[in-house]
Amino acid sequence: MKLYNVKLLTITCEILAQKNIIEILKNHEITGYTTYEVDGNGARGLRGQGFKNEKNVKVEVIMREEKLSDVIEEISRTLFANFAIVLYVSDVGVVRTEKF
Amino acid sequence: MDILQLIQSNLLTPIILFFLFGIIAARIKSDLKIPEAISEFLPIYLLAAIGLHGGIEMRNTGFENMLVPMLVAIGLSLLFTLNHYQILRRLGKFNIFDSYALASTYGAVGAVTFSVGLSFLKNQGVSSEGYIAAILAVLEPVAFILAIFLTNMAVSKQIKAKKRSFTSDDTSDIDVGIQNKTKLSQVLHESVTGKAIVILLGSIVIGYIIDEEGFSSIKIVFDEMFTGAIVIFMIEMGIIAGQRLDDIKKVGIFLTAFAIVMPTFNGIIGVLVATAMGLSLGGAVMFGLLLASASFIAAPAVLRHAIPQAKPSLYITSALGITFPYNIIVLLPIMFTISSILHTGEGSIDLFNYVIKNWI
Repeated sequence: MKLYNVKLLTITCEILAQKNIIEILKNHEITGYTTYEVDGNGARGLRGQGFKNEKNVKVEVIMREEKLSDVIEEISRTLFANFAIVLYVSDVGVVRTEKF
Repeated sequence: MDILQLIQSNLLTPIILFFLFGIIAARIKSDLKIPEAISEFLPIYLLAAIGLHGGIEMRNTGFENMLVPMLVAIGLSLLFTLNHYQILRRLGKFNIFDSYALASTYGAVGAVTFSVGLSFLKNQGVSSEGYIAAILAVLEPVAFILAIFLTNMAVSKQIKAKKRSFTSDDTSDIDVGIQNKTKLSQVLHESVTGKAIVILLGSIVIGYIIDEEGFSSIKIVFDEMFTGAIVIFMIEMGIIAGQRLDDIKKVGIFLTAFAIVMPTFNGIIGVLVATAMGLSLGGAVMFGLLLASASFIAAPAVLRHAIPQAKPSLYITSALGITFPYNIIVLLPIMFTISSILHTGEGSIDLFNYVIKNWI
């Protein structure tokens, strides 16, 4: 089976930044994503305890390489300074490339 | 009544004991934890119960009596928020974002504190005006909206100043400004349609419609279980506060003092003003508590989006770790004592009529 190369952008951030990220994705006409609640430790200390608002969330987005750098640029510019956030990119293969 | 004695007896109520117990559980690193679904459910339940009671009592008192206290509460809340900002910015030397975030956290109301206050009054056998629940709902977004509005103004002013001095473009900052500005209407919409206000207003309306008669069938859940539910929620609050105890060191002496002095000042003013407006003994206490309380559940959700530059560790820790325990353990009995003196000693009320004249 033929697999097509696309990019997987994974963002781990505080739950209150999730809305901003999805907004950014929307601005770049990306509507598909997966989120799940996570907890962990990082530069801003142990996260995921206490109030629901202080939980962490992981957002996974599969997209074509063309859009990737714009999305990352906007996320870094608007969110990096003020939110607990980490993002990384990996190469993945998909079957139905027309979906992304 | 002796204040110290009242504080002491207040300390030994289940609500406070379970709160302290939660703190201890967190300090000894116990894995005790209220399941997430329950701790999310309880605030909704508490607000529904508050709203129902408010609605039922509003049927008896009518809407006309509500208007003046509500407007006064909004006015005071705005005034206090501005006052907080000046104190934090000038004396505390906080940056503009932290100052506005903290100012609005302390200008806003705490629904949990409000619930504890109601059950404290119940314990003392005192009732309060039902429309205070409606004031709670209206007051909730007021301080945030003001703070966010002023932050936006300050940010765009800064950008203008920067633009003038550089003339060449600094697009990243301009972007931030534009982004912040569009947010105000969004924040307004979010805070008005937020779950706290929706459930509160919804229950007030339902309470108003069903009256005592309809309420009798759900009384067991929304009346008799009320204090018990707060107790369970207090365990959770205690645990979260306990986990943050170490952060209090980072808050600093100034903010710690602010987190105690400001609510005391606001609360006592609230009791005086409410008494002058003719609210009952219990009503004056609740009115004072509204102004004294700081928001720690609604605040982070609103402020993190609207003023992301502000450090949440400051405003959550001070509101939950310092002000909340202080309010429910110490300030509540103090305000109750003051209100009792005002309502029983007739002579003193004239004096406060004088005070209120200055306010208006």
